[in-house]
Amino acid sequence: MTLKECYAALGGNYDDVLGRLPERLVQKFVLKFLNDGSYDLLCRSLEAGDRGEAFRAAHTIKGVCANLGFDALLESSEKLTEALRDGAPPQPGEEELIRRVGEDYRRTVQAIQAYQGALGA
Amino acid sequence: MTDKQRILIVDDSEMNRSILAGMLEEEYDILEAENGSEGMAMLQKHGTGISLVLLDIVMPVMDGFGVLNAMNKYHWIEDIPVIMISAERGSGHIERAFELGVIDFISRPFDSRIVHRRVVNTILLYAKQKKLAGMVAEQIFEKEHNSSLMIDILSHIVEFRNGESGLHVRHVHTLTEIMLRTLTQKTDRYRLSEADISIISTASALHDIGKIAIPEEILNKPGRFTPEEFEIMKTHSMVGAEMLKDLPAYQEEPLVRAAYEICRWHHERWDGRGYPDGLREDEIPISAQIVALADVYDALTSERVYKPAFTHEQAVDMILNGKCGTFNPMVMDCLRDCADQIVEELSGDSLQRRSQREMQNVARELHKHKELTASERTLELLEHERMKYSFFASLTEEIQFEYTLNPPSLLLSTWGAEKLGLPEALMDPYQDELANAIILVRDRDNLADALHSTTPGNPVVQYDCKLNVGGEERWHRIIARASWSSEEPPRYCGCIGKAMDIHSSRLHLEQLEQQASHDGLTGLLNQAYAKKRVRQRLEDRPGGRYALAILDLDNFKQANDTYGHMFGDQVLKFVADRLRHSIRGGDIAARVGGDEFLIFLEYKTDLESTIKGVYERLSGGCYEKFPISASMGVASAEAVGTDYDALFRCADQALYMVKKHGKGHYRYYHEENDQMDRAISAVSPIDGADGAGAARREEADT
Repeated sequence: MTLKECYAALGGNYDDVLGRLPERLVQKFVLKFLNDGSYDLLCRSLEAGDRGEAFRAAHTIKGVCANLGFDALLESSEKLTEALRDGAPPQPGEEELIRRVGEDYRRTVQAIQAYQGALGA
Repeated sequence: MTDKQRILIVDDSEMNRSILAGMLEEEYDILEAENGSEGMAMLQKHGTGISLVLLDIVMPVMDGFGVLNAMNKYHWIEDIPVIMISAERGSGHIERAFELGVIDFISRPFDSRIVHRRVVNTILLYAKQKKLAGMVAEQIFEKEHNSSLMIDILSHIVEFRNGESGLHVRHVHTLTEIMLRTLTQKTDRYRLSEADISIISTASALHDIGKIAIPEEILNKPGRFTPEEFEIMKTHSMVGAEMLKDLPAYQEEPLVRAAYEICRWHHERWDGRGYPDGLREDEIPISAQIVALADVYDALTSERVYKPAFTHEQAVDMILNGKCGTFNPMVMDCLRDCADQIVEELSGDSLQRRSQREMQNVARELHKHKELTASERTLELLEHERMKYSFFASLTEEIQFEYTLNPPSLLLSTWGAEKLGLPEALMDPYQDELANAIILVRDRDNLADALHSTTPGNPVVQYDCKLNVGGEERWHRIIARASWSSEEPPRYCGCIGKAMDIHSSRLHLEQLEQQASHDGLTGLLNQAYAKKRVRQRLEDRPGGRYALAILDLDNFKQANDTYGHMFGDQVLKFVADRLRHSIRGGDIAARVGGDEFLIFLEYKTDLESTIKGVYERLSGGCYEKFPISASMGVASAEAVGTDYDALFRCADQALYMVKKHGKGHYRYYHEENDQMDRAISAVSPIDGADGAGAARREEADT
């Protein structure tokens, strides 16, 4: 699997990111994404009802995705970020947003893991 | 050490930080902080050692705007450029960031080449700005230099018209400067800064500009003035002042203000007999007081059309004898103290010396311009100070600290941080568990209160308390200096200081105190100390119901004689122990000397039951073969008042009565005892006028 195929699998925009960052760094940071704890933090703080912390975690995911051109996860995390902004109370449909972020996150992680596996092979 | 410039990246996401670091680490040194508060700590630590800050907005603990607010507060934003990088797209955020002084705003997703280019550009731009600021500062020095040249020229015009040598102005300048410096060493009453000294000395050259308005024939008259002429001559001080007052644009210039004071009042005298206003003592500004003395001194030691030159000694004598009016005694002391320096400086006023002094003045000018915060020179000096400080701090084994009130942060010297097990930079130390484990809240608050109640003139506090160092409580002496802002009124903004381990000397002191206050054999208080404690108690709570008892072991001499002194000592220790256990916590027990003990106690309602209890616990039984029996005399404050000596004397007399009547019991002091005692004294030749109770009892024992 190439990096380009990985981007296709996770719903990202490979051409865009290459326009902004050198390929060497893109590869490095894509792999690093696997170790980023922001999604865990998001889940934990939502569970604990800490909406301020959840906002910051979603915001971080959004920022990282924007930089790496992970468009699918960027879109869903951006919506969740706005829903959580300024400690706003839960609105109907928030569950759906959270579910979408989870789905996109897993898809992203699976694609990167597949790419990592292909590198090792 | 590296020559690379340093960039601080403040972002809570490790990913984001490493993306940025990855783009810049080849050319720059990268520092990372994961929230605003950590970022502040690094800024505090490295200062302008940081060339650029890349700042995120949304972060825990302290967000990006918090950092910008603090950087504004400390004016760091003027010296350290900040580029904001955020995924926030709202124009409100961007606008606010620019208002707070960021130089650029980059939104995510960013292009690595753009970030790189903007970082490089910003760093270059700031370097250029610093250089420009340095150049502006140079120009200001130049201007100052020119203005003192102008003053020189102006004052010389006056002098040449006056037919003087031209040295007078220069001499007065030199004398003024020397005496001002001497004065600042003597007293800080006049609050003269380095800048003030420089301004006053420069302005001193203008003291006689009013003479321009005096007709030449009066000015240069060789003989004595007629009263009319003298009146005209006297107008020169006011005329000079008016001339300065008419300079419309420069009234706020410190130099003009100083020159005004000097012109107007350099003929005033300490006793109020000078002119034009007849001011007295410190009503006369210190600038004018000093210049007046310099003027008189130089007039005496120089040749004039109407007089020869006097020697230094003659001149000082004449001034001290009041030949030229009276002066501030402290200023005269200055003249006396720096006599050698004056003679040396004035006699050798050669060209070379002069240029030397100019060099010195340039150096002083540098001090004067310390308010130019952004100039390259200041930054260098600051950097130098920082380097010096950390070097000396690393040499001394002391806990040195710097506390800033806003934002609350604590910096520790490397050695101190290691010793206390704390990081070198600590944000919000009041909320920090580790920091709170080191000093008791009470001590911390006392120290903070003491610092808050200092004044800018007297900012140093010394406080002894225990600190928990490496799990051990040790006495430390904390010496701290409060920092006050220079605004009016001054604001407390933190402190610097150090903590020294004084544990062993403190313990030694406590030991000495223990030795001085306690009886070596029994461990009870000694009489002198007991007396102090009893008096203290009587003073602190004069309303209490108190009694003082003195007791004496019956037949103790036999114990010594029969079993030896060692045994006697054991008996005394045994009794002391019983004594300790017979009284309550607040009561005072002491060994008066020999086999005589003292008890001072407070009772609630019934003195008799209290005394009975104590006596029964003390007397009776044996120590080995020796039966313990005590005689005790008691005096209550109710009966004899709250004077220690009276209580002691009366208890002693009651004890004497006990001995007289067969020992082994106790008695209270009553008036009739006293009278009886006196009756006995009257018939007994042994009870001499000295009334030594001990001698009497010894007699009764045997």
